[in-house]
Order: sequence, then C-alpha cells, then structure tokens
Amino acid sequence: MDPVGGDAGTSVPALQARHLAKRFGGQLALAGVDLTIEQGEVLALLGENGSGKSTLVKILSGFHVPEPGGSLRVAGHEVPLPVPHDHYRDYGLSFVYQDLGLGIGLSVVENLFVGRRVGRARGILTPIGWSRERRAAQQVFDRYHVDLDPRATVGDLRPTAQALLAIVRAAEDLRMFRERTTAEAGAEAAHGVLVLDEPTVFLPEDEKVFLFDLVRQVASGGTAVLFVSHDLPAIRELADRAVILRDGAVIGDVTVAETSDERLVELISGHLASATIERAASRAVETVREAATEGVDAAARGPGAGPLLEATGVAGGQLRDAVFTVDAGEIVGIAGLLGSGAEDLPYALFGALAGATGTVRVAGAVHDLARFSPRAARRAGLALVPADRKQQGIAPALTVGENMLSLVLGQYVRWGFLDRRALRRTADERALAFGVRPPDGGALVSSLSGGNQQRVVLARWLEDPPQVLVLHEPTQGVDVGTRAELGGMLRQLAATGIAIIWVSTDFDELADVAQRVLICSDGVIADQITPPITRDRITSAVYAAGARTPGREG
Amino acid sequence: MAVAPKLSTPTATQRTRVSHRRGLLAGRSGNILESAMLPVAFVLLIIAFTIATPSFFTAANFSSVLGSQAVLFVLALALLIPLTNGDIDLSVGSLSGLVSMVVAVLNTKAGVNIWLCCLIGLGVGLVGGAINAFLIIRFNANSFILTLATGTVFVGLIEWISGEQTITGVSSDLVQIVFYNDLFGIPWEFYIGIIIMLIVWYVLTFTPFGQRALFVGQSRQVARLSGFPVARARAYGFIIAGFMAAISGLLFVGTQASASPGDGNILLLPAYAAAFLGLTTIQPGRFNAIGTGIAVYFLAFGVSGFQLLGAQIYIQQIFYGVILAIAILLSRVLSKRRYGGGTDESFIETE
Repeated sequence: MDPVGGDAGTSVPALQARHLAKRFGGQLALAGVDLTIEQGEVLALLGENGSGKSTLVKILSGFHVPEPGGSLRVAGHEVPLPVPHDHYRDYGLSFVYQDLGLGIGLSVVENLFVGRRVGRARGILTPIGWSRERRAAQQVFDRYHVDLDPRATVGDLRPTAQALLAIVRAAEDLRMFRERTTAEAGAEAAHGVLVLDEPTVFLPEDEKVFLFDLVRQVASGGTAVLFVSHDLPAIRELADRAVILRDGAVIGDVTVAETSDERLVELISGHLASATIERAASRAVETVREAATEGVDAAARGPGAGPLLEATGVAGGQLRDAVFTVDAGEIVGIAGLLGSGAEDLPYALFGALAGATGTVRVAGAVHDLARFSPRAARRAGLALVPADRKQQGIAPALTVGENMLSLVLGQYVRWGFLDRRALRRTADERALAFGVRPPDGGALVSSLSGGNQQRVVLARWLEDPPQVLVLHEPTQGVDVGTRAELGGMLRQLAATGIAIIWVSTDFDELADVAQRVLICSDGVIADQITPPITRDRITSAVYAAGARTPGREG
Repeated sequence: MAVAPKLSTPTATQRTRVSHRRGLLAGRSGNILESAMLPVAFVLLIIAFTIATPSFFTAANFSSVLGSQAVLFVLALALLIPLTNGDIDLSVGSLSGLVSMVVAVLNTKAGVNIWLCCLIGLGVGLVGGAINAFLIIRFNANSFILTLATGTVFVGLIEWISGEQTITGVSSDLVQIVFYNDLFGIPWEFYIGIIIMLIVWYVLTFTPFGQRALFVGQSRQVARLSGFPVARARAYGFIIAGFMAAISGLLFVGTQASASPGDGNILLLPAYAAAFLGLTTIQPGRFNAIGTGIAVYFLAFGVSGFQLLGAQIYIQQIFYGVILAIAILLSRVLSKRRYGGGTDESFIETE
C-alpha cells in the first residue's frame, strides 16, 4: 500500500493505521491491517460479514482494544491505542452508523448542536440562545448545501434527511476539530476522518444521490471519508479507491474506476463471479416469480402435493414484493445484504412487522399478512426464532422450564391447577434431550450461554411442533460446537416434514444446511441457488444481485 | 406432542446429572438466604418490640393488628397482577376510596340497602379498572402516568359526592360481618384477606394466565411473538385490580362504618411497599401474594410497635417510606446479583 500521501502536496495522510490486529478467543478477527487514507479521499472498505470490517471500525471508535503492536495516526497526530473511549472526536475521528444516533423526538437544531452550544452559553445553567442556535444551524446547512429546517422534529424527517443531518453533524465535529488544532498549532492543520458505516442501507434508491452529493461536498473540503458498505453502485458513485478485507486481512487495494464489478465481487468472495453475474442478470425477477407461483419445485418433489408454504407479494420494511415457496421437509436459506429486505422477511411472515402486506398460504389456508398477527401465525402453524434472542426470543429472567413449556401450559392443568411437578419433570427431560447444559429446568435462562439459550428457544417451539419454522440468524452468539449440533437437529426436524426457512447473513452456514438458497435483493427474491451450494456462490449471487440494482418498478 | 426426545440421545452420564430438586417452589435455583430475609427480619422485629414494651406481645395487640389491616392487605394484593404484567396502577388507592364513599353516600343519603350498595361499589371498581384498561391498551399509554391521571379524577369524584365531608352512619350490617364477627378473636376481615391472598396466589402460580403474565411483564416482546394475548392479559390485570380495590373499599366501610375523603390514597404507598417487600421472599424476584401478605403484617406490626413505644402518628409514614425504599434497593441488589444486570427494570417499562 502506498505509505505516504501521493498527490496532496504538502499534506500528511488523514489516517495512517499500522498493523491493527484483534483476536477474539483463539480467532484472529483482524490480522494486522495497514490502512492509509489521504485527505479529501473517499475510501471504500469492502468485505463479507466476518471479514473484519466492523472490527476495524470498532477499533477506530475505541470500542475494541486492539492487540499491542499497532499504531494509528490521524491528521498527522499519534492517536493512543486503544482509542480513548468516547474521545475519538478529540483526535479527529467521527462516525455515522447505520442507526444514525439521532434523538428522534428532538428538533434538528437540538440534534445538531448536542453537547456543544453556539456562542457563550457554555455553563450548564447559562441560557441557550435558541434563535441564535437556529441561525447558526442554518449557516451550517447552507455551507453543506443541505436543505433542512432547524425547527423540524427529527422523527418527522424522511430517512434520507435524517442521514444527511447525521453526516452534517459528524462533518461539523471534524471541522471544529480542525479549527481547534489549527489554532493550537498556529498553522493550517490536517483534516480528520469521517467514517460512514453502511449509511445508505435503508435509504430509497432515488434519494441516495442527496447523500452522495453531501459526502462529495465533505470530501472536497479536505476531510477523508472511510465508506464501509456492501452497496456496489454506491461505492462506484463515491469512492476513489477500495480496500477489500477477507478473513481479517487486506487482500485487495484497487482504484474503483478501473475495477469491474465482477473483479470486486471476486475479491470480496474469493470466487470467480462473472458467470454468476451473467446468470443473475439474465434471470429476471419475473421468471423467479413465475417459477415460484407455479410451484415448479414442488411439482418436482412430491406428486400432487403443492408447496407447504407459499408467500406472494410480501412487502413491508425493506421488502417490496417477495415471492417464494417452501416444501414440506425442505430447508430453504434466505440470503441478502443488510437492507435487502431479507431481515424483514421472518417478521413479515409471522405477522410481527407493522405495515406488512401480501399473502402467505400455509398448508392450503390463505392468510392476509396485513391482518396477520403472531397469534394468528401460531395458529396457522408457523413458529419464529427471532434474531434478537434477549429481547424477543426468550425471557431471561424466567427459568428454562417456564420458557420451554410456556406455549403448552394448557396441557398441564390438572383439576384447575397447573401441575408444576409435571412441568418441572418435562422441563428437565427436554433440557436433557436438547443438550441444554446444565440440564436443569429450574435454572434461570440468563445464567445460560448463548448456545444453550438457543437450544431452549428451539425446544420451546418444538414442544408444540409447527408446520413451518422460520429462523432468523439462529446461530448468532452461539458457540461453534452448538452451531453444528443445531444444524443437525434442524435437519432431523426437516426430515419429519417440517418446512424450515433460514434467514442468515452467515453464508457458510446456509451453504451447509440449506437445500436451496433464495437471494433477496432490493426487496424481492432476485435469484435462487440450487445444489451444489457453496459460500462463494451465495456471496457472488448476493453481490451480483445488489450490483444490478434494477430501477424500482413502482 | 413433543418432537424433542427424538432429536438427540443423551448419554448416561448426562442423565445422572439431572437435578432432583423438585417441588412446589421449584423454579428458582435455591436462594433460601434471600427468601429468609423478610421472615427473619419479621421475627427479629417481634422479639425486639416484645422486649421493648410489655403490651406488644399480647392477644389484644395481635388481634387488633391482624384485624385492622385487611384494607391495606387487599389493596396490596390488587397491585400484584398488574405488576406481574409489568404495569403500574397508581389509581387503586383512590378507586378504593371512591368505592367506600359511593357505598357510604348511597347508604346514608339515599337509603339504599347496604348489600345493594356493596354490589354497586364492586361495579364502580370494575368500571374504574376497565377505564384504565381501555385507555392504556387502546392508546398504548404509559400506565404509570395514566393511572395517576385517572386516580386524580377518582379523588375529585370522592370530594364531589361527599361534599368534602366525612360520611358516617353506614348500616351496621356490613360492620357486623366484616369487623364484629370474629374467629379466634380476630375479625373476619382478616380471613377475607387471607382467602383473597390464596386466590391471587393460585392465579399467579397455578394457572396458565399467571404464567403468561410473567412473560408479559418480564419480556413483553417474547410474549407477543409467542402469540400470547398480551393486550387482553394486561386489560384483565387492570380490571381485576379495580375489582380488588373495590373489595378493599368495602372492607374499609365495613371497618369504619364511615368514609372520609382522602382515606384511600393514604394506603397507596404502603401497598406498594408491601408488594415490593414481598418481592424478596417466598418466590424471590417475583411479585407474589404470600410474600405480600407477610410484608403487610410486617409493616403493621412495625407501626404498632412504634406506637406502643409512644411514637407519634407520623412514624407510620416514615416507616412505610423507609421500608419501600429498602425493599426497592434490596430487590435491585438481589436481581443484579441474579442476572448480572438491570433486566428487571421491565416493571417500569411501558411501550
């Protein structure tokens, strides 16, 4: 990699990282990465999930403590490692994450100047000059050519406007940093680094241009931008150079304009992508839809028997029009990048996503998703293992037994009383059968490891066996041993005739467990992978589908 | 039924490791020490006051303390189902007062038969609870603030119908049943409280309704995604609370033969103190009826002891307040030790 700034004349690089490494347990998540970003440069950081991208960003923000031996210079100044918590701003680093970090109920001006008042109002009891703050906010927006009303409530703004506000706020932090360092040094100081972590994910396609304009504006002022994204068209639009991480190491450093999509996907996935892209391009969304509605796969499988689950026109969240079928006994993987809609699918199907529409037919009975609820979904034979285990999957403050048997309590009522003895006995048996350690139905769920908690979640739903089991990131926070075991359990389960929908960003796992993988992109099921299924084929297809980004068809 | 056992065959060694701790209270890994704290404190308190004043450990004092707390007892029990659901109901105190006042006014001013008055009183409690339930569930309102609002309205209604006067002269038929009739020297109202305690204990511990309420309170999203009727369970909680507040209001009129504005609300704080203190025993970490019962009488004996020692009436409020603070801090500390973090803030969570 080029060690010192090339074209910027007098300037030092905005960011110079040397040998940043991070180990989790025995696993090397980041294997000594070097990274240089020039002032005014937009650098894209690419890589699959688990490639080390977010670990790198989290080292920069001070969230992770890197292994000793690395060094970091921002705007020519040495930054202590680990980066002091909550003080990255003082070193010329600024972050915008996908969740933006805005106070939704507060006004634009309150968000813009949070923690940093305009003018003299510095003491906590000095009155704030609101009209003056609003004027100052207006000036800031004018400087970035952004059209935002300082009085508006952030929650009322469109997602794009919110993203613009978050970026302006981060850019302002960097401008303040530069003014401060310039004053201290008595000479023109160098610019800091703005890190954008997947900021375009939830924005509508046609509004991303506003964001691109703003980022270009910020970069043209001299600020360096580290743009972390999966969105190839966005990267093409914004970035000069792309650094690709795989397995914790830099495996590519390319000029974006000179690199084809195929080559980028190949670098990301480590797999020749051209064939996939061609195939993906030729296979229009319409054909997938036709195949799905006609139940072609089902016909091939069982004589006369239609698919067990048939989803049509599923929309809501990022989903626009997802169409697919799943047969009894089949494990179907669903893969997609963040923002593709894949992560909304489990909840839309289960009646747990507000504003979802479409229909789902389970074992012949048709359900309208607009009027579906988790309660109705359960009655229809669906079960959902959500990704957010602590909040949605299991009650940590209750016991293993209470969680496992909560769906079938009616079966344990004797003479009007819950038979707590029988409940406890069954819970102990199930804990043992599912390999929960300790196999104690009376243990608090919060005392179990993630893997054991997930066993309890699964046991809970299987106590009242569903016809269709929907899993969202079921192995998140689960140890490797348990992962393999869960995979085995679910395969056996499928063999009993249960249909399994497995939504995951872990493509290794999908390749391992699924008989068919559907690729979700831009809110539709855009592609399908049939055996032989490999991680690389999934990755290629996912990025290829994203790269095509077909214009939205209303 | 279960697909579970087919999935994996446990080894013999695993099988021997199964815990054999079973029984009625199984469900929590043994925290006998925690459970014992309140009962031990109770015994120490009795011993201390017995030593301090000869009039404490007497049949007369015990009869008077046990027989005089039913109103508070039932009011504290009224809180338990909403609390288990993760809801706070601050209106039960004034609703109880409103029911007392309705009964007193109808009986003395309009000459309505006392038993009919009682029925109407129970109806008022149900309607009050239903109003809370409707507003909170239908509009997804914060139960804390909303019941503060309805409770304030109830207080206003009390003042309106009573003309801000104490209403005396309620039919002695009710007083006869509640207060004068006794068993082993203790008024019937004590046993009424015990029966209601056992019913609440049964509902929360031995019915699917009570078990699901735990999910609704502890992990509302889990309950929702499990297809539990979350809204219905919460609505029932408020309605039951209103009904039980009405019962406590009837017991109040039955004890005093009168009703005066401001009576009900005074009991709100000790009721919460008892519910939170009860959280530390029997089933530590869970709002439970028997623990609440123990806590109510712990508070009552404490106050009585101080008063026998010659303390002024204000000691009551100080004692209640201090105990509520201790109970909440204690439950915080214990739950932190148990879960390693603030998972039990859920009882204040709205959403």
